[in-house]
Amino acid sequence: MSNPILLVAAREFRQIAATRSFWVTLLILPLALAIGPLASHFMQKPHTETVMLIDPSGQAAGAVAERIELDHQRQVLQSLSRYSESHDLDRADPTAPWARHDHYYSDSEVKAFVAAGGAKRAAAVMQRVATPDTKPFEEPEPDYRIVPTRPAIARGSPAELATSLPGLINPPTKDHGAEPLDYAVYIPTDFASGRAPVQIWSDGAVPGQLMGVLQDTLTRAMRLHFLEAQGVRPEMADAAQLIAPMIRVNRPSPGKGHEQVIIASILPLLVSYLLLMSLMLSGSWMLQGTVEERSNKLIETVLACVSPDQLMYGKLIGTVAVGLTMVALWVACAIGAAFATQGMIADFLRPALAPLSQPSVALAMIYYFFAGYIMISMIFLTIGAMSDSFRDAQSYLSPVMLVIAMPFAIIAQAVLRDPSSLGVRIMSWIPIYTPFTMLARLGAGVPLWEVIGCGITLALFIAVEVVMLGRVFRASLLGAGSKPNLARIGRLMRGRETE
Amino acid sequence: MTALLLDHVTKDFGEKRAVDDLSFSVHDGEVFGFLGGNGAGKTTSLRMVLDIIRPTAGRIEILGRAPGRENSADLGFLPEERGLYRTMTALDTITYFGRLKGMTRGDARREGKALLDRFGLGGSANMKIEKLSKGMAQKVQLATAVVNAPRLLILDEPFSGLDPVNQGLLEDEIRRLSKQGSTIVFSTHVMQHAERLCDRLLLLAEGRKAFEGTQDEARATLPARLTLTARQTPASLPGVASATELGEHGGWTDWDVRLEPGGDPSDLLQACTERGFALRRFEQSRPSLHDVFIHIVGGEEGRA
Repeated sequence: MSNPILLVAAREFRQIAATRSFWVTLLILPLALAIGPLASHFMQKPHTETVMLIDPSGQAAGAVAERIELDHQRQVLQSLSRYSESHDLDRADPTAPWARHDHYYSDSEVKAFVAAGGAKRAAAVMQRVATPDTKPFEEPEPDYRIVPTRPAIARGSPAELATSLPGLINPPTKDHGAEPLDYAVYIPTDFASGRAPVQIWSDGAVPGQLMGVLQDTLTRAMRLHFLEAQGVRPEMADAAQLIAPMIRVNRPSPGKGHEQVIIASILPLLVSYLLLMSLMLSGSWMLQGTVEERSNKLIETVLACVSPDQLMYGKLIGTVAVGLTMVALWVACAIGAAFATQGMIADFLRPALAPLSQPSVALAMIYYFFAGYIMISMIFLTIGAMSDSFRDAQSYLSPVMLVIAMPFAIIAQAVLRDPSSLGVRIMSWIPIYTPFTMLARLGAGVPLWEVIGCGITLALFIAVEVVMLGRVFRASLLGAGSKPNLARIGRLMRGRETE
Repeated sequence: MTALLLDHVTKDFGEKRAVDDLSFSVHDGEVFGFLGGNGAGKTTSLRMVLDIIRPTAGRIEILGRAPGRENSADLGFLPEERGLYRTMTALDTITYFGRLKGMTRGDARREGKALLDRFGLGGSANMKIEKLSKGMAQKVQLATAVVNAPRLLILDEPFSGLDPVNQGLLEDEIRRLSKQGSTIVFSTHVMQHAERLCDRLLLLAEGRKAFEGTQDEARATLPARLTLTARQTPASLPGVASATELGEHGGWTDWDVRLEPGGDPSDLLQACTERGFALRRFEQSRPSLHDVFIHIVGGEEGRA
């Protein structure tokens, strides 16, 4: 290898690879992949929230508890249905309720499912046709759990409850041994008359689901009371409560529809984020190297052997190589995790890697990644050439980074919400955001004309950028002393001023 | 053959003219001194020779070719402001610059080791630059300049910042390369080094050439100076510009005599003999380059 550009690139690469921060950064992602699920397991708040029912008359609490359990079992049945559809297990019992996938289960269907043995029985039936690779069904956690009412509270008047209950709801310091409490519900004896209010204590907003359960159950009780008072026979009044429409739910099968958009966008979004991360890191390392060459008075010795253009291209190639090495290792770790592990990571990554199986998407991703790298690295390189110290460089770098990195979070959210929204499409045509936006959108499908159009626009922008910033780079290399201001940078870019 | 030629070269930085219509040539195998005060245009001229910056006008020829990186295999350069990659080892640094000048990795390492051994740094070859003393790093920098055994070695103020030991080492290296046939151009404002090393020299003042020639030709630009010991004043002798009495002892007086410009001390000696002018001492003082520099450059800068 005697090409000066490659020699400069190799030296840049070796210099960065010899730093401790490079290796720490390189290992952060694999470590995060390994530690992340464990940490989230230990740090996650339990999903099930606790509810205490205070019902002095003992008329309504049973119905509320039953309703909560019924809703949970409906959720279990729905999960079973999705599970069966995902793993092609309907043939185990085509008549089973979980083999119906376009259906909202009525109360009576849920009760029948529970009476038939519930999830345990269903899982056993499914097991008959399951393959060894089929992961076992995991029953969803219930949203709410009823906790026993303490005797002192059960006897309390509304005024006493108003004093004692707020202190029991998620107190800041835990009383070890005491049951944690998220919500307390007081149902007065004469709630059915509509004169005394049902009261709820909570330390925040009450979820709509819990409100729905209470509203529905207590309204039923009130209506029953009303119908009976109107002379309707009790069994007729009861039957009237059970009248409900059949609801058919039309939704895509698991992994399709918006779920598919989200899953397919995960890898491209991740690549977009990796581009941003690795750019920031390798760019700042390269910037340090260029500042070192200037501050150590090295630049003249180097320029006697290589032209400014060769130095510039060598540094660009070296930085791109550093970034690609990092990303290649990270992607390799992700693929390794996807195919060598079972469980959550693998389930998450396997479908997410699917877009790569389409050569056109993979090619477009590689193109936008490279183009993004060159575009942003060129900015770092020019800043390095203009700066005598890292502090000098920071004054240029901060606003540039703000402009480049800030919109990333907005892009990511917008892409997940609607990858073809007008805002996202406009961002795709703004060259400094094109690589990030297009990478993020590619998983959800982008029209070919847009992929090519944005690609050409980006290539033209990079060509103009390399010419204009190249002029600033060349003119700034040997300059010392005061930093060029914006006006001078503008003149240098237009070629109105040289060394 | 001409190793380096500058033909009516001018360089402007905005409104400021750093080099003004400069023309000179350096012959193959010469040690050529490029002398001038601070801001005279020495570094700018050398940067143009190396194609680090381009002239505003004029033509430069280096080893028969236009300036450019294609000449780097035949060139060595030691800049005035020196620095090295702090985290690279001494040997890797020399190898890197050797390779940038077109050497193979093996040749560059072999030559680098030989140079480090010769400079007494054989044991520090694999030490990082940041661990070396300033003097050691300066030797490494010199090694990067000469690793390719350059046909033309350009040294910009090479002695600045060097301790006397390293100055001697650099002088030896210049002589060694000169003996091997390299052409050496070095800029300096320390006349003693130029006096010891230069075959020919150029004096630069305010970006313009003030003198080009050999050391003898440079000295000849100053009036000859003599110390005479005589019984009477030599002021009336032909060609004498001035005679200053230095002291008297035993009837003889010492005189500091300056001849008129272009005057030859031999002519004065002949006149003394022909006229029976009694002399006890006739000693010719050789003007130093420092005197020449002050005489020529001081005058130029005074006029500017």
